[in-house]
Order: sequence, then C-alpha cells, then structure tokens
Amino acid sequence: MNRDFTEAELHRYARHIILPEIGGEGQAKLRAAKVLVIGAGGLGTPLLQYLGAAGVGTLGVVDHDTVALSNLQRQVIHRTADVGAAKVESARRALGEINPEVRVVAHQARLTPENALALVSDYDIVADGSDNFATRYLLTDACYFAQKTLVAAAILRFEAQLSTYKPHLGPPHPCYRCVFPEPPPPESVPSCAQAGVLGAMAGTMGAWQATEVVKEILGVGESLSGKLLLYDALDARVERLAITRRPDCPLCGAQPAITSLDSPLAQASYAEVYCGD
Amino acid sequence: MSTGTVEVRLAALLHSYTRGARVVHAPGATLGEVFDALDERYPGIRFRIVDEQDRMRRHVRVFVNGADARDLATPLADGDKLYIVGALSGG
Repeated sequence: MNRDFTEAELHRYARHIILPEIGGEGQAKLRAAKVLVIGAGGLGTPLLQYLGAAGVGTLGVVDHDTVALSNLQRQVIHRTADVGAAKVESARRALGEINPEVRVVAHQARLTPENALALVSDYDIVADGSDNFATRYLLTDACYFAQKTLVAAAILRFEAQLSTYKPHLGPPHPCYRCVFPEPPPPESVPSCAQAGVLGAMAGTMGAWQATEVVKEILGVGESLSGKLLLYDALDARVERLAITRRPDCPLCGAQPAITSLDSPLAQASYAEVYCGD
Repeated sequence: MSTGTVEVRLAALLHSYTRGARVVHAPGATLGEVFDALDERYPGIRFRIVDEQDRMRRHVRVFVNGADARDLATPLADGDKLYIVGALSGG
C-alpha cells in the first residue's frame, strides 16, 4: 500500500491523520479502499459526502433513477438544477467538487440478480442505502456469496435501523436474513413515498453509516456486527440490540435453502418492488 | 407467583393499533401472555407479530432487555423491557 501523501493530501486529511486511531497508515487504507454505495438517495447522499470527504479512494455508486424535486428535502448532494439528471451523475459532479482526489464509478443501473455479484465483487465493502426490500435481500445474498462486509441502514418516518453484516466470517456474525429471514408482505410496510421520512434523520443515519464504513476499513473500534442499532428521532432515543446468527438461517445457516442468487427462496425475496422515489 | 408488568416499545408498523402510542405496558409471565394481553387492548396487534401457527413472524423481531427472543414461552419478569422491531426498507 502506498503511504506517500502529497502536501495537499496532508493538509486535506490533517484532522484524520492526527487521530492516533487513523494516522498516515489509516489514511492510506482509506485511500486504497473501494466502497460500493447502493442508492444515491436519502442515506446514500450523506454517506457519499462523508466517504468522499474522508478520502475513500474509490466510490462506486449504483442508482438507476433521476433526481426529482421531492428528493431534495433530504438528498443533499442533488441541487434544484439537477432535477431530471441521473442521480449517479449528480453524485459524481458533487463528489468531484468535494474531493477531486476520489475516483467515482457511476453505475446507472438497478441492482439485479444478473449484475449484483459482479458489481459487489469489484469492491472491498458495500453500503446499503437502497429504498426497497428486494434490493436489500439481493444485496445481503450477493455480499454473502462474494464475501463482502455490508453496512446497511434503513429509514422510515422518524425511525431508523443500522447494522454491519459479515456472515462470511462465520459464527458468531449474523446476516440480515438471521434477523429478518424473509421480507414482509408488501402491503404491511409503507414506502417513504407513502409514509414520509424526516430529511435530517436520513442525514444522521447516512453519516452514521459512513462512520461504520470507515471503522470497518480501518479496523478500529467496535464493529456493529451482531448489533442492531435503532434510532427513534421523535424520542431522541438510540437502542443497541443484540442480534444472533440463526442456525436455521436460510442463507448462512447449517443447511441453507439459498445456495445461489437463483435459489427459489432468494428469487421470491427479490420479486417484490415496494418503494420508489 | 404474581404476574409482572412489562414495558413494550413498538416499532412504527404497530402504531396504528395502539392509536399512536410508541410505548405501552402489559401484564404477562411469558411473551405469549404479553401478546395476548396486548391483543385484548389493541385488537389485531398479536396477528401482526405472531402467525397462525403461533410462530413469530419472520419480518418481526422481539427483544427482551436487548436480547433476541424467538419463543412465545420466553419467561418475563416484572419491569422487563420489550422491543418489537419490524424490518424497514426506506433509504
């Protein structure tokens, strides 16, 4: 790993480098890291801002969508002038302005069972800021098969959830399916478009997710693997709950029903599209 | 032995049953008894947590004092804190 920094890099990252937990070594790890962010939306945009500002060397962004006026209440890197533009291009423009040292790879596509493994395999760590269960389960399965750590956040109204999943490392690390083996019936959970979401809370959680991604890259502090963090913005309350690996987990259990992205149970999880906008 | 009362903190997916209340209290010596007590007060709420075969639904998790609980027979003590969490998908 290259540990040489330019004068400009030393200045840009000075507040990181001075931290004993990061230092030049850690900053070099961030520069060498490749992180894939799914969704350039409410979670993805603050997440990309902080990862870009932190000097994560390669940021992949997956989003098929274009910027809408109703996105701007929370999707902070998109501007009014970007309405109608591809979100990944708006993200690339914004990140270039924040930190031109970062390489941004724009994937203007949906995550699908056909492209998921190849996309995920090109990166070191994956961060889920998607807006639907189909993508969340697909990403969970793809990251497990590609042996990638997944930092996943989800938000609705005034509630948020955050955890880190690395079941490929074996017990005791659980996967998302250990917590929620299957998605809920479509009619039981509203989308952000139907139920709303507090814009600033998306920022809180995207920044929190960025913190956990950086920790995973650096290998510092306590990982959120095996813990589910809940944030209730109305009560200003945070809970950290213990989540355990299920021996009967359909993905990482002893006799998994899901052995590839083509398994029928896996395909059933990807079938439903719940949420847009 | 008298039945204790537990605090139940509910995820948003259940707030429509509790008329918006995010924290409720219910009696019960086991998880199953607490869900029965909740259902008496908030009809229909139990079915959102437990299926027809008396198993916890696979998109809902119940935590007792911060630890995952998957069995309706899980014993509870007075003052225990329950969290009922549903999967969220928004981003």
